[in-house]
Amino acid sequence: MVSRRAALLGAGAAGGFALLPGTASATVELRDQVLAELTRVAPVDTGRVTLTIPGVAENGLSVYTIVEVESPMTEADHVRAVHILAANNPIARLFTASFTPASGIARVATNIRLGGSQEVTALAEMSDGSFWQDRKQVVVTIAACVDGG
Amino acid sequence: MKTTLDVTRRGFVVGGASAGFMLGMGLPLGDRLGAHAQTGFPDEINAWVVIQPDETVVIRIARSEMGQGTLTGLAQLVAEELECDWANVTTEYPTPATNLERGRVWQSMSTGGSRGIRESEQYVREGGAAARQMLIQAAADAWGVDASECTAAKGVISHEGSGQSTTYGQVAEAAAKLEVPSGIPLKDPKDWTIAGQPLKRLDTRDKLTGKQIYGADIKLPGMLNAAIRQCPIFEGKLASFDAAEVKNMPGVKHVVQVGDDAVAVVAERWWQAKTALDALPIEWDGGEHANLTSAEIAAFVEEGLDAEDAITGNTVGDAKAAIAAAASTVEAVYAYPFQHHATMEPMNATALWTEDRCEVWCPTQNGEAALAAAAEAAGLPPQQCEVYKYHLGGGFGRRGAVHDYVRQAVLIAQNVPGTPVKLLWTREEDMAHGAYHPITRAKMTAGLNEAGEITGLHVRIAGQSILAGLMPQRLQDGMDPVTFQCLAAEGDHALAYTFPNFLADHAMRNPPVRPGFWRGVNANQNAIYMECFIDEVAHAAGKDPLDFRMSMLGNHPKNAAVLKAVAERAGWGTPAPDGIFRGLAQCSAFGSHLAACAEISVTDGNLKIHRIVAATDSGHAVNPQQIEAQVEGSFVYGLSAMLYGECTVADGRIEQANFDTYPVMHIDEMPEVETIVMPSGGFWGGVGEPTIAVAAPAVLNALFAATGKRVRSFPLKHHDLSA
Repeated sequence: MVSRRAALLGAGAAGGFALLPGTASATVELRDQVLAELTRVAPVDTGRVTLTIPGVAENGLSVYTIVEVESPMTEADHVRAVHILAANNPIARLFTASFTPASGIARVATNIRLGGSQEVTALAEMSDGSFWQDRKQVVVTIAACVDGG
Repeated sequence: MKTTLDVTRRGFVVGGASAGFMLGMGLPLGDRLGAHAQTGFPDEINAWVVIQPDETVVIRIARSEMGQGTLTGLAQLVAEELECDWANVTTEYPTPATNLERGRVWQSMSTGGSRGIRESEQYVREGGAAARQMLIQAAADAWGVDASECTAAKGVISHEGSGQSTTYGQVAEAAAKLEVPSGIPLKDPKDWTIAGQPLKRLDTRDKLTGKQIYGADIKLPGMLNAAIRQCPIFEGKLASFDAAEVKNMPGVKHVVQVGDDAVAVVAERWWQAKTALDALPIEWDGGEHANLTSAEIAAFVEEGLDAEDAITGNTVGDAKAAIAAAASTVEAVYAYPFQHHATMEPMNATALWTEDRCEVWCPTQNGEAALAAAAEAAGLPPQQCEVYKYHLGGGFGRRGAVHDYVRQAVLIAQNVPGTPVKLLWTREEDMAHGAYHPITRAKMTAGLNEAGEITGLHVRIAGQSILAGLMPQRLQDGMDPVTFQCLAAEGDHALAYTFPNFLADHAMRNPPVRPGFWRGVNANQNAIYMECFIDEVAHAAGKDPLDFRMSMLGNHPKNAAVLKAVAERAGWGTPAPDGIFRGLAQCSAFGSHLAACAEISVTDGNLKIHRIVAATDSGHAVNPQQIEAQVEGSFVYGLSAMLYGECTVADGRIEQANFDTYPVMHIDEMPEVETIVMPSGGFWGGVGEPTIAVAAPAVLNALFAATGKRVRSFPLKHHDLSA
């Protein structure tokens, strides 16, 4: 059995590797595919969700990120989940936080890791089945030998 | 709070707190550009070019000038397409926040990896070409003629049919109102008249007259000065300090904790801050590495030489099998130490913080990264921050990937809202908190056939990964591609030989010493490993080092060409003067192809490097004189590292504290450097770093020719050459 790691290493060895840039393997298409799976192809509206993330990050190793969703957080109307998706990371779905009305507010703050400059999506899943999103572009600066900036 | 910089040369006021602060070239224009981003900018033709009524051509440079000449080289590329008069050219840095605000119209500000020109040549030339077209169009519109009938040269636009002519300065305002065109064909480099020429640097005069402002020179009205001490032990923390002991010392304003591992004294003058800091009782929490030594690190790294957990970076055929089946084998183990950037100007940054804005003045290799670090430390969005870049008193990679000094300056300034604070590290602080050139070892094993040809080569690198230490998210499924510079299968750092069987692998061993990108990065030691070992194999096979190399360069014509060029220039194959011995080296790095031939002598155990002939094929040569200067300068740096460069560890900290214990080579030790600039066209290679890699191995191979000694551990100062 060939592990994923061994397969990737083998492929890299056979085909050589491009020294630059970076490791990112997700694409906008993969991000959209993950988004479609999460929403079960339901429409996604823009609004209600506020993604706060720096427009520029020095490194990408740890980027402070806040997602807030406008919601009364009642039994009848609350946020079920918040997902953070990346368009250019090895894995498109970075993070999922689940909520209940008992959460009180729909707000999550965390540090995420970004492999390079890319668009970050915050997706909120509501109790009524609707989906809302906010998207921000983040420049991840990389200096010296590697350059993603 | 707005900041005003009073700029004499340009005769306009840019921004207020620093009124009276005079700046020359490279002045930051944040407020100016930011304001005009929304309101229009009368004399901005496009993002790259500003033309003033007096015909002054201001070319915007996004990359940082740190001595490498990028300011001049990039300006040459823009001016070439612009068809302006070079005598009228001056430059300026757009600010990082303006770049973000304007949708990164100047793209990356990262200045490293020898990428300044090769990464941006296309779009800066397009910027110059677009500006030229707009200026011509404006003149044609005024004359009522077709723009295609007009020509431009040296900033003068002419219409042959009507005999009319005008200047860029006269049509600039009209041109600025036109749409920026795209798709303007660029000149063939063979037609260049400004680019490709050995023009004098634009910043030389200001450096010679002392007008050049560096970050360490900055003085703002009301500014306080800070000295800092960070826990000298790797990953150690600040335990406690007794501010009461120093608070009444002259000039002292504040004693503040900075993060969890440092304390700073803020005073009226820097020496007051430094004196109080020296007197401040500080207790450190050394943590788990408090007793770490060089010997422990060496053992940890060297265990990787035969370990099973190596990650493959490049493999061709089956090197291990070929070596096992070889008629004979050659094996050698090399060792390369931690080294320090030792920039002439220690780390520094000046910060002004309020609750809603943060401004930083600093030397940086990446303005946007400095902005990001400042914003994060300030607790503000980047849009409410600004960074004003200053020429660097040395970068070499230290001011590229780690903006710890910016972060610290902002954290200190938060204690005095509305008052600018300049943080200046001491040399000792700088030496203790570097981003060190990584420590590695290499086991080189070659298998040879009966004819003395290499049938298999295995390069086992054991040691530190820069990416793992600084940005692990950039590892490629656990592999650090940067480790394999000069050993890679393809790309900018491809192995510059063809072997029937080859394996380069890496047993990653990361000690808790922060690594960094150091001019040339891993090309430095990898070229030593490869090129000294190739010499060893040539010797074992009884072959001439030049012929032996050439026999493996059939698929590498550019490498063969640079090697041939240095061999011919140095007179390889002809008798050297009495007592003089020669050595060769070649490789590819940063997209360029390099070779060197060194001439040395050894008298009473003393090495004298007489001459190094070095060839660089960077594809294109935007300023051949600057390439020569870069090669010469890089040899000072690279040879210093080979001769003396070593940071050692005791008690969990770096032992070297200043240039007495971390020397660089002196002027009387510097060889004559003959640079062959041989751009072969068709590609864009780097210049700032690559050629550094061939200096040390060429000297070491000459040293073997002279003494029969193979030096395999560095620096050279530890070796007795007399026996």
